[in-house]
Amino acid sequence: MTNTDTTATAAPKGRGRRHTRLADVDPSATLLDVRDLKVEFRTRYGIARAVNGVSFSVEAGETLAILGESGCGKSVTAQAIMGIVDSPPGFVTGGEVRYRGVDLLKLSRQERRKARADRLAMIFQDALSALNPVFSVGFQLGEVFRFHRGMSRADARKKAIELLDLVNIPAARQRVSDYPHQFSGGMRQRVMIAMALALDPDVLIADEPTTALDVTVQAQIMNLLAELQRDLNMGMILITHDMGVVADVADKISVMYAGKVVERADVHDIYADPAHPYTKALLESIPRVDLKGQQLNVIKGLPPALTDLPRGCNFAPRCRYARDRCREDTPHLYQVTTPGGDGSGRTPRGSACHYWEEVVAQ
Amino acid sequence: MTHAVTSGGMSAGEVVLEVRDLVKYFPITRGVVFKRKIGEVKAVDGVNLQLRRGETLGVVGESGCGKSTFAKLLVSLEKPTSGGISVQGQDISRLRGRELTRARRNIQMVFQDPYTSLNPRMTVGDIIGEPFAIHPDVAPPQDRRRRVQELLDLVGLNPDHINRYPHQFSGGQRQRIGIARSLALKPEILICDEPVSALDVSIQAQVVNLLEGLQDELGLSYIFIAHDLSVVRHIADRVAVMYLGKVVEVGTDLDIYDHPTHPYTQALLSAVPVPDPALRGHRDQIVLEGDVPSPANPPSGCRFRTRCWKAQEICATDVPALEPRGGSDHPSACHFAEERDVVHAID
Repeated sequence: MTNTDTTATAAPKGRGRRHTRLADVDPSATLLDVRDLKVEFRTRYGIARAVNGVSFSVEAGETLAILGESGCGKSVTAQAIMGIVDSPPGFVTGGEVRYRGVDLLKLSRQERRKARADRLAMIFQDALSALNPVFSVGFQLGEVFRFHRGMSRADARKKAIELLDLVNIPAARQRVSDYPHQFSGGMRQRVMIAMALALDPDVLIADEPTTALDVTVQAQIMNLLAELQRDLNMGMILITHDMGVVADVADKISVMYAGKVVERADVHDIYADPAHPYTKALLESIPRVDLKGQQLNVIKGLPPALTDLPRGCNFAPRCRYARDRCREDTPHLYQVTTPGGDGSGRTPRGSACHYWEEVVAQ
Repeated sequence: MTHAVTSGGMSAGEVVLEVRDLVKYFPITRGVVFKRKIGEVKAVDGVNLQLRRGETLGVVGESGCGKSTFAKLLVSLEKPTSGGISVQGQDISRLRGRELTRARRNIQMVFQDPYTSLNPRMTVGDIIGEPFAIHPDVAPPQDRRRRVQELLDLVGLNPDHINRYPHQFSGGQRQRIGIARSLALKPEILICDEPVSALDVSIQAQVVNLLEGLQDELGLSYIFIAHDLSVVRHIADRVAVMYLGKVVEVGTDLDIYDHPTHPYTQALLSAVPVPDPALRGHRDQIVLEGDVPSPANPPSGCRFRTRCWKAQEICATDVPALEPRGGSDHPSACHFAEERDVVHAID
C-alpha cells in the first residue's frame, strides 16, 4: 500500500483508536476485497451468526453475484460493506473490507461516511420504502449534491434532472418535482439507481434490485444497470436469489448458505458443473421457461437457525452426499478443478464440501 | 349434477368450470357524504375460459392485469359486474345465501401469502377444521380432529402438530397448512393465487411437487395464477395470458411457450431470465418500453398497442377478437399475430 501522507485530509479526531484513512487508497490494489467478514446479531435467543467468515473480491467493470435464499446473510454482507448494519443488535466482529487497499472497517465515522458517498453506493430492493414520501424526487436527489458537494439548490436541481435523464426517465424536467408515489415501481427503481450513481461511485451494490418488479420491467432495469456499469466501469455486487438473473448478467458468483460462502466460481463453470451439493440441488429445483421439466428436485428440510448452527458442515442435515465426517469436520473452501473450467476463468474455483469431487463427477 | 359441455376439442375430460364474458368494474368515487362515481377501474373485462376435470389452467400476467380479481370472482369473494361463472353447469355468480355457501364447497382457494392468510391466534387444528364448522354436514364434530390429522398427513405435515400455532411453522409449512384448509371440504376445483411466489426457491419446489401430487391423487382441477412463467410452464396444461383485464392468448403450454403468436406473450416470455449463462446473448430479447397503462383509462382498440412495436391504425380502432390467427390453431387477440420463438436459443 503506498502511503502519501502529506496530502491527507484532516486527520480524524479519534478516541485514541488507530484509523486508516481514505486518502491512503492505492489505485493498483483490488477494487473491493472482503476478507473473512463476520457479522453477528446479539438477540434474545442468543447470538445469530449472520455472516460467518465471508471472503470475495470485485474488480472494476466486473459483476459479482451473491446468490442465496432468505436468511443466508447476503443482505447483511452488503450492509456490513456499506457500514449500515443496525447496531445494536448487529455487530461486525471480524474481517476486513478493503477498498483499494484501505480497510473501510477501520475508518473514522466521518471518513466512512465520505466513502459511502463517493466510493460505494447501494440500491435497495423496495424503492418505495427507501424513498422519503414527503419530499419530491428532485429534492431527494439534489440533497446528495447539496450535502456532499455544497451546491446551491438551483444547481442541485439541475444535477437531479441530468441524473433522471441518465436513467432514462422520460420528461425528466417535468418529473423532477413529482413525489415518489407518482412514479410506477420501475420508475422508482430508476430513481434509486440515479441516487446511487449521483456521486460517481466505483462500487455499486444492488440488493435484490428487481425482486419487487414485473418481468418486463425487470428486463428494463437489468439492461439499464448493465449499460451503466459498462459505461461508468463500476464494480457491481448483485445480491439476488434468482438464478436466472444471475445467469444473464454476472461474471462470477459466490453462493451463500447459512452465513458462509459455500461455492465460488465463474458464472459459466457453476451452471455447467456445480461443485457444491447445495448449488447443485438449487439448480435442479428451479423450473425453466424453456423446458417442460419432470419432477422438480426437492431440497428436503429447512436452512438451520443462525443461533444454533449444526456442528461440521451447515448443509449436512439436508445433503444427500453427507456422511459422518460432514457432521464433525467443518469443510474449508477447497480449490476445485473441473474438466470444463480448470482455472481458465479469472476466479479460482472453490467449494466448501469435503466430497466436491463426487458432486462434480455425478 | 355433472353437465358435460364439449367444445374446442383441445383435451378430453368434462368441463368443470366455465367463465363467460366475465366483467368486473370497480367504481372510482369522489366525496365522502355525497359519493359520486367519476370513473371505473376495468379490472376484468370480458374473460372467457374453460377448465376441464384434472386439468391445470395457468393464468399469467403482470401486476395489475386483473388476475387476482379474476381469482376472487371465481370463489365469489367479488360479485361480477356482468357475465357468468358456471361450476358443473350451475351459475354461481347469481347465487345467494345458503345456496352460495353450498356451491362454494366445490371451489376453494389457496392464497399467496402464507404469513397473512392464517389467523395467528388459531391453532392449526382450528384453522384447517374451520371449514367443517361452516359446513357441519361434511364431518360430524367427533370426526373433525381425525379429519384434520388426515389432512395434515396428506400435505406432508406431522399430524401431531395439530395444536401448534402458525408462527411455529416455516413459510413452506404454512403454505401446506393453507393447502390443507382448502382441501378440507373435498373440492373439485382449487384456485391457487400465486401460491409459491412468497417462498424461497428450494421450498417452492416442495410446494409445486405437493400440488402436483395432490392433483394426481384426488383428481383436482387447478386454476394456477402466477407471474412466474417458469413455474406456470412446469405445472400447467393450458395457459391463458392476461393483459389489462383481457385474455390476449390462450393455448396449451406448448402453444404458448414454444409457439406464441401475440406480441405481449412474446415480450413477456423473452423477458424471463433462463438459468443458463450459455444462452446469454443467444436469445431473442424484446424489451418493452414503459409501463402498463392504468386500467381506469385503458387504451382504445387493442390495449397493448401503446407498448407494441407492431401497432398500426387498426389497433387503435378495432378491438382484436380472441380467435385462432396467424396460421396457428390456438386463439390470439392480435391483428398481426405471428409465431415467434423467444424462449430458446436462436442460433
